[in-house]
Amino acid sequence: MVLLQVVVALVLWHTTSNGLMPQPGKVAAALIHLSTTKLLIDNVLVSLALTLKAMLYAIIITLGFAYLSVLPFFRSIAEFIVKCRYLTLAGLIFVFTLLTQNGSALKLWLLIFGIVPFFVTSFLSVIVNINQREYDLCKTLGYSKWRTLYEVIIVGKADKVLEILQQNFAIAWLMITMVEGLSMSEGGIGALLIKYNKYNDLTNVLALQLVIFFLGLFFDFLLATMRRWLFPYTTLATK
Amino acid sequence: MTAYTKQDVLLQATDVCLSYDGTPILHDINFSIRNIVRPGVNQGQVVSLLGRSGVGKTQLFRLLAGLQKPTSGSITINGNKQVEAGDMGVVFQHYYLFEWKTIYQSLRMATSQNPVLKGNEQEAIRKWAEAFDITASLHKYPQQLSGGQRQRASIIQQLLKGSKFLLFDEPFSGLDVCVLDKVVDMLLQVSVADELNTLIIVSHDIETSVAISDTVYILSKEEGGATIKKEIDLVERDLAWHKEVRRNKAFADTLDEIKASL
Repeated sequence: MVLLQVVVALVLWHTTSNGLMPQPGKVAAALIHLSTTKLLIDNVLVSLALTLKAMLYAIIITLGFAYLSVLPFFRSIAEFIVKCRYLTLAGLIFVFTLLTQNGSALKLWLLIFGIVPFFVTSFLSVIVNINQREYDLCKTLGYSKWRTLYEVIIVGKADKVLEILQQNFAIAWLMITMVEGLSMSEGGIGALLIKYNKYNDLTNVLALQLVIFFLGLFFDFLLATMRRWLFPYTTLATK
Repeated sequence: MTAYTKQDVLLQATDVCLSYDGTPILHDINFSIRNIVRPGVNQGQVVSLLGRSGVGKTQLFRLLAGLQKPTSGSITINGNKQVEAGDMGVVFQHYYLFEWKTIYQSLRMATSQNPVLKGNEQEAIRKWAEAFDITASLHKYPQQLSGGQRQRASIIQQLLKGSKFLLFDEPFSGLDVCVLDKVVDMLLQVSVADELNTLIIVSHDIETSVAISDTVYILSKEEGGATIKKEIDLVERDLAWHKEVRRNKAFADTLDEIKASL
């Protein structure tokens, strides 16, 4: 079924392509050519390293604020971070340039700033929706408040952290091309994309988009697999 | 009639009131549970709090469990100790267990809270799992268990915690006849496991509750909130501790009496 849909889409693409829009065969050839070059591998590795570093920092910051949000002082801070989703990164580039030391740090912190509000939003919603019975069970077992917090939120919601990572990886991956355009000297898939765009090399642009798309799908699959492996109870059907 | 004496007060509720935003839910709840002593038997106590749906049973359950503080009045156990969360074993309706822990891990959570079991945790878990027939399910997650197995696991968890008081919220709700009989047997088994074991059942299932209890308190609504309207001493009526009590005419009369009081 899916195969048929892909074939139909490719046929439609092939038949409707005019001179400006490259045909799928050309894009595929460009993709194969790109895949064999060191250029693509180097740039993909740069982008992946930056994304993973940003994701790691973002999840640490998110967990810190989310866990502390059970205290009233940090709750309002966490809620403010949630509202920061509505801030556009484009308007803050100069501020971040002033606050960071070099292009590498600028890209990293812009990415973190872009991801954290979405992470915090997702994780706060998990915490807010915790069933009262989970806290009650800990209380009836005579657990202290900190032990309850540890059992219910930290241990009990560890699988949700990976789920949120999986859901929000797309956001980070989406932003990478934008932030890499700010400091192109270190390369990265975003910088490469901007270069091809600049010379209207649409065939390579589309080939790169396919690389970005497939890498995104691969990481989505990887995180889902990790979640199933680390937290087997998440995939169990209720008897 | 079976020989027995009622001795020390194990639990005392005195003038317990509860209201939310000025709306009274419970008022002047007064009752006590005494240690029943029967020669030659480790006879625990089984007390039922009966009432219609929505009367405030769950609120009273939460107060007894120490999960909530009354607006006024007090609930004390073992002399003069105010009830706090953790003092009572609590088996919630639908037998809640952590979904992210295997049954064994959940039981270990309970044994770690019981100093008496220190060093013998595994042995205690093995013993209770065998008695309640869930040994094969110890390394499964709650999602993999049937309702009956979850209930047993939930009861064992609270037993392993070491509390002599066990509170049950609607333990007979939604069970089919076969499972219901098993649950009744299990509760009776727990009640005679230790002289001081005290089971408090909050339920609207009158027949099953009366069949296994020694005392019944009827909670009914009045102006100013629900209160205990009646106490029925089933031991005095010779309706306690008999397996075939349901065939007794006095049992049927008692059910009618309770229904009329609700």
